[in-house]
Amino acid sequence: MNDLLVTCTALTKRYGRKTALAGVNLELGRGRIVGLLGPNGSGKTTLIKILCGLLQPSEGAVLVDGAPVGPYTKSIISYLPDRMYFADWMKATDLFDLFADFYSDFDRTRAMSMCASLGVTPSDRLKSMSKGTKEKVQLVLVMARKAQLYLLDEPIAGVDPAARDFILGTILTNYNESGTVLLSTHLISDIEKVLDEAVFLKDGAVTLHDTVDAIREREGKSVDALFREIFRAHDFEGGAF
Amino acid sequence: MFGKLLKYDCRSMLKQFGFIWPAALALALINRFTLGGLDGSSAVGETAAGIAMLVYVAILMAMFVIAVIFVIQRFYKGLLGDEGYLMHTLPVKPWQLVASKLLTAVLATMASVLVAVGSIFLIAPMGWSDLMNLFSFLGRLFTHWNIQATHAAVGTVEVILLMMASFAVGYLELYLAMALGHLFSKHRAAMSFVAFIGVQVAIRILGNIVLQPVDSLLGSLVEGLHGPSGFHATVWIAIAGEAVVSAIYFAGTEYILRRRLNLE
Repeated sequence: MNDLLVTCTALTKRYGRKTALAGVNLELGRGRIVGLLGPNGSGKTTLIKILCGLLQPSEGAVLVDGAPVGPYTKSIISYLPDRMYFADWMKATDLFDLFADFYSDFDRTRAMSMCASLGVTPSDRLKSMSKGTKEKVQLVLVMARKAQLYLLDEPIAGVDPAARDFILGTILTNYNESGTVLLSTHLISDIEKVLDEAVFLKDGAVTLHDTVDAIREREGKSVDALFREIFRAHDFEGGAF
Repeated sequence: MFGKLLKYDCRSMLKQFGFIWPAALALALINRFTLGGLDGSSAVGETAAGIAMLVYVAILMAMFVIAVIFVIQRFYKGLLGDEGYLMHTLPVKPWQLVASKLLTAVLATMASVLVAVGSIFLIAPMGWSDLMNLFSFLGRLFTHWNIQATHAAVGTVEVILLMMASFAVGYLELYLAMALGHLFSKHRAAMSFVAFIGVQVAIRILGNIVLQPVDSLLGSLVEGLHGPSGFHATVWIAIAGEAVVSAIYFAGTEYILRRRLNLE
């Protein structure tokens, strides 16, 4: 087992002329909850998608548990995307079957009990579920795995503040504690209390990576306050209003 | 892992065809009884027979349209659309994803062909004895042509294999076109269509340059063979030809999914 769980070296991703990631160097250890923080368009989703193999980097390299992205890294990563990724005609239980088939770390019993606590009826067809319920099903799929790396892309972006606490609670009570959670968001105040580390992404580059305690101590302010300061909108971006 | 992928792809196939296959067979069975109405004895019977036949033909056509849509959609939505977020994060190799889609597509088509052929047998007012007579007639025909039963049986299997290989080539051509379209950051569907035409042109040119000489060489070899062996050789050469083109398409598609995948 590699000490470092994630290593990104000079990671660059370009979409045509637009640069989404500009030479990202990042190392993440094990057993942490890491916030990947940055405004919209800062490259959070791009970085996560490269880690799970949905995007190919233009330059640079990624290693997860010492291995390049491939079937092995996919077997230890649990990924919550920013969209619905399943066929509508399935039931949640069909998806549990699928996950149990492909991921040896998927715990079906836990998935069922998470459904019960989240108020999801797993025998319902996904087609008949509301958007929020489908998101819960996806969260159950991801958190019922004992993965080494959880990649959660904006898990609390589209929900109301009450539901945010619920989702964060589900993540915190279910993740594999020897694994690492990388959670992207721009809603920092809601998650600051659960983070061990924070990574600030700005214009595709890492501008800060440290433990939350060290940031608070050094800066004398919360991560949320620091974030607002660094990413304060300029006047021409509407910051004056 | 490949078997598991196949299981889920086959499930989506059954979901897609679960209604139309039994419907086609049921309508064939209805036609078997209404067909008698065409003897002109009653206008009602004639109308009923006409309608039943119309619906049956429409269902058969729909079945093959669905088959083509199924092939395209399972690849495009399943691997290059939102469902790709799930499929490409499963711990499997890209070639397994493509192979599973392809095998399911070919199976779905063959099953549709089987349903179509089966439905014709259902319509035809034949009993078991008629069917047996048909087989014994075919047997006599082969004897007359001096073809042994084993050759006939092997030949049938070979023709089925050739059919499957032809479907595979056609579907892989679609897959490659969609994968090539995916290389563009905008207008991917339109670019897939352009790529499809491009692949068609490229394979024709390649066929003329590379395959023509090989073809004539093999042709002269086959010419020396007569009867069943000539037939077997011809079919196998055709299967090999399809396999070579399939391999090229497959490798191209797999490469793009492995090295150039960009789900945006």
